Order: sequence, then structure tokens, then C-alpha cells
Amino acid sequence: MPTLVSHPEEVKIVSSRFGKGATDIERYIELDGYQAARTAVEKGADWVIAEMKTSGLRGRGGAGFPTGMKWSFVPKQSEKPKYVLVNGDESEPGTCKDHLIFLHDPHTVIEGTIIAGLAIGAKMGFIYLRGEYRYLLEIMEKAIADAYAKGFLGKGIFGSQIDFDIISHTGAGAYEVGEESALMESLEGKRGIPRIKPPFPAVVGLYGGPTVINNAETIATVPHVLRMGGEAYAKIGSERNGGTRLFCLSGHVERPGVYELPMGYNLKKMIYEIGGGIRGGRQLKAVVPGGSSTPVLLPNEIDIGMDFDQVGKAGSMLGSGGVVVLDETVCMVEFALRTIKFYQHESCGWCIPCREGTDWLKKTLTRFHAGAGVAKDIDNIRYLAENMLGRTFCPLGDAAAMPTIAFVKKFRQEFEDHLNGKPCAYAKQKMQESVLV
Amino acid sequence: MADVTLTVDGKKITAPAGTLLIDACRKAGIEIPAFCYYPGLSLQAACRMCVVRIEKIPKLQTACTTPVAEGMIVATDTDEIKQSRKAMLQLVLANHPLDCPVCDAGGECELQDMTFKYGAADSNFVDVKNHREEQQWSPVVYFDRPRCILCYRCVRVCGEGMDVWALGVQNRGVSSVIAPNGGDHLDCEECGMCIDICPVGALTSDTYRYKTRPWEMTHVSTICTHCGDGCKTTLGLRSSSDGMEIIRGDNRDKSGINGDFLCVKGRYAFDFANHKDRLTQPLLRNAEGKLVPASWEEALTFAGQRLHEIRDTRGGEQIGVIGSNRATNEESYLLQKFARSVLGTNNIDHHRTADYVSFAKALAGQEQRAASLREAETAPAILLIGGDPTEQHPMLAWNLRTNVRHNRARIYVVNHQEIKLRRQATSFLKISAENYSAFTRFLAGEENSIFGAEATALRETLATEPNLLVIFGSELRGAAIEALVRYGLSLPDTKFACLGDYVNSRGAADMGLYPDMLPGYVPVQQPGAFATEYGERFPAAPGLDLPSMLDVAARGNLAALYVVGSNPVHRYGVAAASLKNTFLIVQDMFLTETALLADVVLPIANLYEKAGTVTNTYGDLQLVRKAADRAGVRTDLELIVRLADTMGADVHALVPFGQGTRADMGQSRGAQSGEADRHAVWLAAQNLEPKLSPFDPSALLDEIQRLIPSYSFSRLELFAGNDQHVQATSKNNALVQISNLSQRPDGVLPSMDTLFTSGTMGRYSSKLTEVHDSRNKEILVAAN
Amino acid sequence: MSIVRDIASVAKGMSITFKEMFEPTQVENYPDGPGPMHGAQFEERFRGQHVLQRDENGLEKCVACFLCAAACPANCIYIEAAENTAEQRISSAERYAKVYNIDYNRCIFCGYCVEACPTDAITHGHGFELASLNATSLVMRKEQLLTAMPAQPTTPTLPK
Repeated sequence: MPTLVSHPEEVKIVSSRFGKGATDIERYIELDGYQAARTAVEKGADWVIAEMKTSGLRGRGGAGFPTGMKWSFVPKQSEKPKYVLVNGDESEPGTCKDHLIFLHDPHTVIEGTIIAGLAIGAKMGFIYLRGEYRYLLEIMEKAIADAYAKGFLGKGIFGSQIDFDIISHTGAGAYEVGEESALMESLEGKRGIPRIKPPFPAVVGLYGGPTVINNAETIATVPHVLRMGGEAYAKIGSERNGGTRLFCLSGHVERPGVYELPMGYNLKKMIYEIGGGIRGGRQLKAVVPGGSSTPVLLPNEIDIGMDFDQVGKAGSMLGSGGVVVLDETVCMVEFALRTIKFYQHESCGWCIPCREGTDWLKKTLTRFHAGAGVAKDIDNIRYLAENMLGRTFCPLGDAAAMPTIAFVKKFRQEFEDHLNGKPCAYAKQKMQESVLV
Repeated sequence: MADVTLTVDGKKITAPAGTLLIDACRKAGIEIPAFCYYPGLSLQAACRMCVVRIEKIPKLQTACTTPVAEGMIVATDTDEIKQSRKAMLQLVLANHPLDCPVCDAGGECELQDMTFKYGAADSNFVDVKNHREEQQWSPVVYFDRPRCILCYRCVRVCGEGMDVWALGVQNRGVSSVIAPNGGDHLDCEECGMCIDICPVGALTSDTYRYKTRPWEMTHVSTICTHCGDGCKTTLGLRSSSDGMEIIRGDNRDKSGINGDFLCVKGRYAFDFANHKDRLTQPLLRNAEGKLVPASWEEALTFAGQRLHEIRDTRGGEQIGVIGSNRATNEESYLLQKFARSVLGTNNIDHHRTADYVSFAKALAGQEQRAASLREAETAPAILLIGGDPTEQHPMLAWNLRTNVRHNRARIYVVNHQEIKLRRQATSFLKISAENYSAFTRFLAGEENSIFGAEATALRETLATEPNLLVIFGSELRGAAIEALVRYGLSLPDTKFACLGDYVNSRGAADMGLYPDMLPGYVPVQQPGAFATEYGERFPAAPGLDLPSMLDVAARGNLAALYVVGSNPVHRYGVAAASLKNTFLIVQDMFLTETALLADVVLPIANLYEKAGTVTNTYGDLQLVRKAADRAGVRTDLELIVRLADTMGADVHALVPFGQGTRADMGQSRGAQSGEADRHAVWLAAQNLEPKLSPFDPSALLDEIQRLIPSYSFSRLELFAGNDQHVQATSKNNALVQISNLSQRPDGVLPSMDTLFTSGTMGRYSSKLTEVHDSRNKEILVAAN
Repeated sequence: MSIVRDIASVAKGMSITFKEMFEPTQVENYPDGPGPMHGAQFEERFRGQHVLQRDENGLEKCVACFLCAAACPANCIYIEAAENTAEQRISSAERYAKVYNIDYNRCIFCGYCVEACPTDAITHGHGFELASLNATSLVMRKEQLLTAMPAQPTTPTLPK
């Protein structure tokens, strides 16, 4: 079990039960567990949706769509059964928050799912874990079994007339399945390939029924929102960005880890105070603010509040909250290559721009990084990325294109330094370091 | 649905609501490129070529997934879109090998066309392309992975279109690869649709691989000579040392009744025409009893003189004539006319594969009740009794599947076998093979304890189906057909189709290749106009049917037998000795079991080597165009006329040629290269073309049209290459009393062909045999 | 005055004539000249009888793509393609020209075939002695057009 980190500036809501043994259902109930679900059962769907709308909770998966709104889109009447789907396919490099939630607090996910199901009138929920989180499935399944035993799940939950079932499932290890419609395909037992939209999942989703699909963190936040009231939750964050979020601070900082901070928390402060500054007193070179798919920020761009709107204004995205800090020793070409390698590996191969684009980006960057680059490669890399952007079937192509464009735009000089077979200064340094070690 | 109006590139267009933007644009003449989009198949949106700019939507949208909306403003041709398409092509081409010079698709490749259009021929990519070796998946399908652009058309057409699901996608990302679900080979119907639909040269066929280039061939669209569906196939021809050789069959010209579809036979089983055993010289039996080559003059004179002699000495009733299921309407018509008016016999028959006579009788007096093959794609409900369309009528099966997929048609299958189409069926009822007749009576309301609740439920459901299309196989004959049709007519707007086996089985029946039926199912006893048309030799009494002729021959009482394009000795299991006292003339392509016993063997042209018309089993009349040519063979039409001539018959009375010379010869002009000769089509359609030769089939078509009222069709449409639906009977036929039919033996012998067999001719198609054998081998391996 | 002008122009003309009289002869002494060319001289880009080239392994460059035949305005190129097999490899691609005929009765030496060739298999040589009393001998077969095998061909490396 990974060590938990903590900082006094944190506002612990979702992470409030981390490290407190809340995997045990009795302990969870002791820590105010299942109260929100019980209240929701009593007060009904309309109340839940109203509270969610007041809370300003926005999807924690990356797109930041207001959760209350999403739930209200699901048609009230439907011939086909409605479903709640929890997206625990957390695969974005730099992101490791859902992992902690499943590990420390599986019952909040269950509770959140029950509430979401109640809000849209679903009778069935699915919790989909990332393929690589297979070992968490045991925890999750035990938690579900305990909840059934307590009567929180199954027929007549919390003594009401409402039935609700939850099934947990893992993927086979595909980043692509983090996309909601691909996740549904995967859950249906098909190839994990996104679906054509429209129709959107709220209308035609899993097995053809209206489906609400939320990120695991969003779902885990829901019980807390209801417990403390939408208004109180909204007050914590910045404007139009309610509450807190789990930031996964990683890279070259002294104290990396998952910190729960209010939305709109200053990025610079996060790196230098929460994270304890750059490792070894080195200089900051760049920050990836929201997981590997978000465009990189330069040191002079990081004095911003971490919420969807402010990061967006700075030319990047808040994404999944994975803040990756890079110090001066990092070769940006290598970093770009590493990023693209990931997307090339994870592209599902469905549409041309993503399938071919990521592969040629990888090929070009590999050669370029190895020192065989030519001047037109730099423009070619940018051309490729720009022609992928917005043209792909699903956001994976954008996720590969956006950071690439930013790398070339913001670190062009470094790319040019790689030309003419010159060895990269950073690689040289790295080699020397490894020799010394 | 209501129409919506939208603006595309500043042009106002109107389309029904729910239409996809790409279809609406294409219909309005605005080209939108696409690789993965294929009309009728599920949507992919994978190739990103069809992107357009729709006002108020931030990103470019794919036209193939966007339904039209009222007031939508679309741009399809801006610089941004062109750039996007160009970039997409550059990405496709990045991994695409530049082997156009050797690629089979070169010249008819969608990727080539688009590269020309969007100018993506330059590439900035210098890294190594991904390569994989070519694979052979089946006797006919080869796959060249690097050429594949992953449009998934093949996967979809195989799965959705064919319901075979032999292809899938393996791996992900750039390693994605189309692969057979059977591992290294295809478990499939070998229809070749995947090859046809492939926009590039990734899937190629064994028959055509590396042989030539598309522009080096002459392409002729004609009708496939195999099953009773009569699909249009485009033959690629190349001149050879002894004529025009067929080197490719495909569905390049998608104008036929078969639309997108063509099966294994239409695509590959043309090679019998090039078989090494093909006869190209007449053979005569010499004094030692051996068949030796002879000249045409010798053979025809000998045969004609003997026939003349036998007719005059022993009478026409001692002569038998057997027609063909694969000859054109004109030839079949001429053959029976020759038999009745020159030989003076009604002993004429053919290998019957369905009871069309009973069908015609049952429908007598009805109009527009016989369904076209096209209606199988549109009818809201279909009752399929007997038959196995997947094996014997692949085009019908395709239409039925398409109908279910597109229109959610309800198919009710009743069969004694678990046929594959039951997978698309709303309900499947299994009855035993001998109960078809009882079942038709059961449908009509007769209670029968052998049919359970399921059958009763089916009967009740069918009663609620208006516009039912009833299709029945050759299991149903005589009274069963009558009962079924009577039942169908009790429902509103029911239509019918009767399934026979070969390309012109229906035509042979319509043209009166029956001992008791004249063309148009006019009974011999009440010949009407035919009495005067066919002259004084025309006997009044019905003749012998095929089995009886063989029996009589065995007893030594048949003096002569004239067999045209048929192999009764094999089909009916005749002992060689039983024909020893009969003067046997056989017209065939090969030395078949029947030809081996003949006194005179005349080598003939096959359906690909002649012109005329054929009628498929549903009554769709189509034009057959002469495609191939082989030195040394002649058409049945020519041979019958020449035989009549050597017998001293009046050829003018037999073939009404030399008429229609009112044509304005000054206006006619030759076709420019690649252009249809519209003037000639017009002349033919107006019945103005000079029929200067007795070998001109259109002269006979005039007579067919004149004497068979149900053959009313537009000549213009026919000669323009479109199918024309003709009815089995016309209203006028109601006046003809078809009597005592129920006692009449139907004489039907189903050919029991499968997808990979085609009667005697199928044996001479090496490709068909190869596919058939490899399939059997697989089954054996699987069984072990 | 006009007489003087006429004489002057005649003199000017004759001066060129006399000057050229003493220059060396420019006439090619074909066919009595020395060497295999019998005294004929060619410009580098003279378009003569075609030569079908081989690659460095001695394999034929022609892959029977038919583009030369398609480009030919005189329709004088006839090709029959066949597939290379593992046992018998003629060209480096999948296909080779089993028959490749050029009908020099019809060829107009326009060079379009050379332009069209994607593999640089067909080139114009300098052969020009194509006169014949027998028209059929002017239909040249592949064997007549092919360049000689390299003196010491390297072992053909078969692509896997």
C-alpha cells in the first residue's frame, strides 16, 4: 500500500477517510458512511439533482462537464433500462487518484453510484476498473458484497421500495477504454472502440439504455456533497468550480503525492509549498497541469488557479488533475517522445489520423531524438499534430496532438539543438550521471 | 418522412429527414469522398475523409454520421477541408506501399483517385514503412496487409451483408490488421464481396492476380450463367489466340438486379469457358464407333439428313428433343418451334427444376402477383417455404438479409432443414420433408395434428401480414403450389416467387419446353394462335416428357434424340446401352456423359459467348450480351437454324428475320470508345434495327413478344441493360383453361446444387472445384 | 548605286562560302566510317530502339504494369504479364512481362513509354538501323530488347 502524504493546506473531503480503514463497512458507517445515500433515498431524485447543480461539481475525468446537468439529461421515461457507469479506467499518465479511492474508500464509490442511480432512476450500476487495477477488484468486490449484506444494495435498499444492483468489472488494459463510449463497448464484451456520437450515452448507452457515466472521483465526491450540502461544497472552490479535487503531484518535486485541494488553488503554490519545491533545488522547466494529454506550461505561466476555466485560459487544460513537474534536467524532446510512445501504444487504430498520426509522430521523434533529425522534421511533427487535432474519431488523437504542438511551440529551440547529429545535452548529462552512479 | 432543406456550398438542397448528409450531398451532385462509408453498411466514421464544416459547430464534422437538419449550412469544399483531406491521405499513404505498377487495383483504386484529386502525392515521412507479407486466406482470396487502409468495409460486408462473419480486426493501433476469424484461412462462402468492396488492392482474387491491368481489358456486363437468380456480372476480356478470353468476373458495373452483390459463381466460375477439355470441333461417330473430328459442313449435313429421313420414314413422334436450362429465351423458343414445326413432334422437354406450370396455373387470371427479385429487398414480410437461398439463391438470400437489416422485415422460415437464413428469421418452423404439401393445406385452414402450436401461431401471425411475399422452393409442386397460392390470394396483396435452379430454368418453362405446354403455358390441346403459327406439322396431341422419352428410347422406339445443352444421361442415370438404337445429336461445350454416346456432337458457345435474353426464376427478364469468343464454337441458335436449313425447312418461317429494315441507316454511328452505342440501343428498342440475319436473336424476341402476352416489357429498358419483370401469366391467360393439371406429373428433379456446384458445367470450372474441395477438406479436418 | 550594293552583297556571301571551304569537313561518314557505329554519331538523348533494363541483380526491371502500353500513342506495345514464382524469378516485383513486344512498324519514337515507366525499365537506346524488307521482323520481342545480363551477376537476393 502506497504511503499517504498530507499537507496542512489540504481540504480533505474525498480523501477524508483515506488511511482510516474505511474498506471495512462497519468502520465506513462509523465515519458517516451511507448517510448520504439514505438521505437521498428519503428525499428523492429531484432533490439530489438540485443539490448537485448547486454544488457546481464538475466531472473529474477531464472534460469538466457539470455533473448535475449530466444527470438531468437522462430521460425520465425509458423503454430500456437505465444504467449508471463508474469510469474507474484511470489511465492518463500522471494520474493516480482513483486508485487511492478504490484502495482506501471503496464504499464511497458504491454510495455515490447508488445516489447517481437514484437520481436518474436506474436499477443497475457498473463499476469499471482499469485493467491494471485488477488487484483492486478484490477490495471492490468485497465492499459490494458487504453492502449487499447490509441491505444497501439489492432489493429494497435502505428499507425502501427501490432496487439497486452493482457489478464491478475490469478492463483488459486499454487507455482508449477511458473514453466513455469505448468503455461501454468494452463492458458489453466488444472491442474497446468509441461509438459514433450522437446518440450520446444519456440517450443510447450501455446495452442501448440511457446511461450516466461518471469518473470514479466524481462519484466518490457525490456522497460528500449531499452530506455537507451543495451550497457549502460550492463555497470551497472557485467561481463555477465547486469543491475540492485530488491533485496528483508528481515529477521532480520534493514531496510528490495525491493532495486534495480546493479548486482554483494556485499552481505555483502547489508546486513550491505543497510539493516542497523542485527536487534538489534545481530550476523548474515545465509543468504538465492535467495529465499527459494537456499542453505543457512554462514556468512563467504557472501563477494561475487550478480550475477548469483558469487553466483553460492559460492555454492548457485541467484534465484529470495529474500535475507533472519537470526540472531543468529534462530533455523535452525525450519527454515528447515518451508521451507520444504512450499514445502510439494506446491508439485503438480505428481512425486514420490517430492510428497513423501517432505512429509517424513516434517514428519521427524516435529518429529525431536519436540524433538523425533534419530541419524539416520539426515542422513535420507540428504539421502532423495539427492535422490530427480535432480530426480524430475520439479525443485520444487530440490528447496526443495537443501536448505535441505545445512541446514544439514552446521548446522549439531545444528541438533545433537536436539537429545535425548533435547529442542532446541532457542525454549527455544523464549518461554521465549514470556512469557516476 | 418530411423533407428538410439545407444549404450545401451555397446551394439549397432538399432531402428526407434522417438522411445522412453524405447521401444528401451525393444525391445533389456534391461529391464527398469517403473510404469507410459504404451505403447500406453500418457507419464507421473511421477514415475522416468526409469531413465538412457545419456552421455553429466548432470542429469539422463527418458527413457520414451527421443526419441532415433543417436550415443546416454546410461547406464541403473550403481550403480547410481540402487540407484536412489531404493530410488524411498523406497519413494513409505514409504506410501504403507505392506498388501501384504491380497492384491489381491500380487504375480502379479509390485511394489513387483521391490522391490525384487532393494532391497528397508528396510525403514528408522518411521513416521505414511497416511491412507484412502477403497471405493467402482461401483458394480465391489473397490479402496484402501493407496496402490495407483499414476502412473495415470487408469486415462489415462479410458480417452484416453476408452474415458470414469470417473477418475481423486483430491488434490495436498501428498494428491493427484485418484477419480471418478462422486464424489463417477464411471459413466462408467465398463470395469475394470483400475483394469487390475493398477500395484499394489489399484484397485480391486468385483468378485475376497479377494477370493484367483494368484498362487493358474490355468489360462486358452480362448475366451469370449459373443459378436462377440471374445476377449481372462484368466480365473482363482480353484477346487471345483463339478469340476473346475471360480473365476476370466481378461486379464492377453495379447496375444489375444484384446491386452490390455477386457470389462465388458469378465472380470466379467463368473459367469453364477456358477449360482445356472444351470442344471446338464437331465430332462424328465413324464406322468403328469412335467419335472423330469433322467439319461443320459434314456434321450438320449428316445430322440434318438423318433427322429429315427419320421424320419422313418413322414420323415426328419417334423424335425427341431435350432443351437447356442455360440457353437463352430465344434459343429455347426456337428449339421448341423447331421441334413442333419442323420435326413435327411434341416430344420436347428439359430438365425441370421447379414446377412452373403449376405456379402459372395457380396464378392464372391474376395480375402482378409474381414478385421480382427486387421485391425481396423491400417486402415488409416474407414467408419462405422450402429451398435454401443461401446455397442455391445467394442473391435472394442477400436481399432478404438486407431487407431485415434495413427495413426490419419479418421473415418466416418454414423448412425441413435448419437453413442459414433462419438466423435472420422472425420465426423458424421445422417440418419434415414430406409434410410441405400438408403444411400448405394447413396454412389454408385445414387442421392437422402433425403441426403443433408453433405452426398455429405462425398461421395466425401470417394472417395479420398485409403485403406478404411468399417464396417457395422446389419441394412444393403441383397441388401444394395451388394450395399455397390459393391461401396467399386470400390475404391482401400477397405476392409469390417460385425458386428454380438455373439461369434460364424459368425461361425454358416460359418458352414452352414442355411436351404439353406451348410458350406462355398455353396447353398443346388448345393451341390458339400457335396452331396457325407453327404450320401443318405441329401435332395436336401432347408429346412425351423427358423420363418417358428415355424409357421409350430404352425400348428402342425412339429413332432420334436431339439434346441441346443438357446432360440427361448423367442427371437421370440413363444406362449407356439404352440409347444405342437412337440417333443422338448432342450440342454441348464438353464431352459429357450424354455427348459420349452421341452420333453427332456439336460444340456450342456458352451464355457468355452469345447474345439474347434470359428470365430468372422470379420473372426478371434481362439482356445477355456477347462477351467472350471462342474460335470453333457456334451458338445454339445458329445450330438450330442451320439444322433446319439442312433439313430443307423454310428458315424464314422459323425465324422472322429480314424485317424491321426501316431503320435510318444514315443516322447510325459506331460507339465511341467507352461509350454505349445509344443509337443502336434506341433502334433496337424501337424495333427498327435491321434483323438481316437468321441468327439475330432479336428477330425471335419480336415473335416471343408477339405470341406470349405476359412477356410485355419495355424494349428500351431491356436494351439499355435494365431488368424487366415479366409475369408468369397475363390476364388473357385466364381464358385458357388449363385442365387436368393435378393428374399431370410435375417431373421436377431439383439439381441439389450448392454454392460451389453448378450442374455438369460446374465440374468444368477449376476454381469452383478447387473451392469446393478445399471446403470439404476443411470439413474433414474439423471432423477429425 | 544599286550595282555596287549588289556586288557588295554577293562578295559578302561568297566570302562566307570561301571561308567554309577551308574548314574541316562536318559530314558523318556513315556507313563507311570506322568502329561499330560505322561512323554514325549520336546526341546523348537520341531516341533509338528501346532497351529493356535489368537491375543490379540481373533481374528484369519491367514489372508489367502496362503503363507504357497505355501511354503509347501508336499502340505499338504488347504485353502479357505473369506472376513470379519462388522457383523462377524474372523481375524483382510480384509480376513480370512474359511477353513484351514493340512493333517498330508503328513506333514513332516519341518517348512517352520511357516517361511513363515507373521503374525505369524501358529506355531509348541508340539503335537506329531498323530498316527491313520484312515487316514482321520489325515486331521485336522481349529477348531482342533486353539488355545483356551483367558480366558477373551477383546472386539474386530474393525478397523473403
